[in-house]
Amino acid sequence: MSALATALAQVSETADRLSRLSVRAHQNPYTLVDWPSAVDPERDWFGTPEYVSLNGTPAWAALDDQARRRVAFHEAAGFYSLNIHGEKALIQGLAARLYRSDLAGSTGYLHHFLDEENKHSVYFGGFCTRYARVHRSRQASFGTDRPRDVDDFLFFAKTLIFEEIVDHYNRVQARDGRLHPLARFINDSHHREEARHLVFGRRLVTALWQAGDWDPPTAAEIRHDLGRFVTATWREYYHPDVYADAGLDDPWELAEAAWSAPGQRAHRRRVSSDCLRFLTAAGVLTEEPADAF
Amino acid sequence: MRSETEIREQLRTFVRRHAGDVAITDDTALFTLRVLRSVHLPELIILLERLRGAPIDVEQLRMGDFDGIDAMMARFGVPS
Repeated sequence: MSALATALAQVSETADRLSRLSVRAHQNPYTLVDWPSAVDPERDWFGTPEYVSLNGTPAWAALDDQARRRVAFHEAAGFYSLNIHGEKALIQGLAARLYRSDLAGSTGYLHHFLDEENKHSVYFGGFCTRYARVHRSRQASFGTDRPRDVDDFLFFAKTLIFEEIVDHYNRVQARDGRLHPLARFINDSHHREEARHLVFGRRLVTALWQAGDWDPPTAAEIRHDLGRFVTATWREYYHPDVYADAGLDDPWELAEAAWSAPGQRAHRRRVSSDCLRFLTAAGVLTEEPADAF
Repeated sequence: MRSETEIREQLRTFVRRHAGDVAITDDTALFTLRVLRSVHLPELIILLERLRGAPIDVEQLRMGDFDGIDAMMARFGVPS
């Protein structure tokens, strides 16, 4: 029996409960949103200003209120875009594991997971294609020759890290009364479904890590990979193309300056803290990821 | 646009930071030898974009494009 099959069997009660909740909360993403014909990026806030990646930098201080709203709008499109790319990878990974021979009895919640991720991309893509654009990702993969159990673990652990960080932004922005109702809706809708995915992810990652029982060199390589993934995930929040769309000069230098700004380093550490505390308590990580903060 | 010398030096600094004890030259096959892996790509791509002052089409990338500093210079040293 593979480590993933063992872990899924251990979390089956949780998965069944989450499946029932998913059935009850089932949504039609094509009818639920009344998309405005246009939006005004310089009038309304589309992202929480304290969560804009330039916040706390000299560049942010130099902008007037209208320009800050414009940056927040393009950064919202950047945030939705990184969600689209993250969910594409997630959908591919879930689809690859659906009805795999050793997992045939455990596909119930994977179907909901897959369905809900696709719906989220309908919202994110709907915003980006109507009012801005889908920004590119710099995440790329050339494939590996790692054992399947290790690949399974890294897939679900990376998914969890990605979703924990995104969900923090979703929770804050869903509650932010300054934001345009459409931005609040997209963040809130995503958060409601991600809350279930995070419950599943935490249970599964814990069980999978225990079932894997890897030797020290393998465990060290997994830890190194996850640490680098935390850094790589955060790098995507500092998107030169977003700054260029917002009309700012020297977008690559700006991204580098924002990444290194003390306020932004503290922000990344604070937003990541719940997720890193969980991974440390589960024994997965033993130290803070290098270079992330 | 930075000079080739400056771009190479910054790439060497990036690679050395991730190479541990592995001795690196400009033709070391970084991905083949797993000195770098896919998880390093976002940082590496944004560094290359900043150094060359132009975006890189991520959808067209191959592992060979990054398999050494010489390979990266040949592929990304000058904006296409």
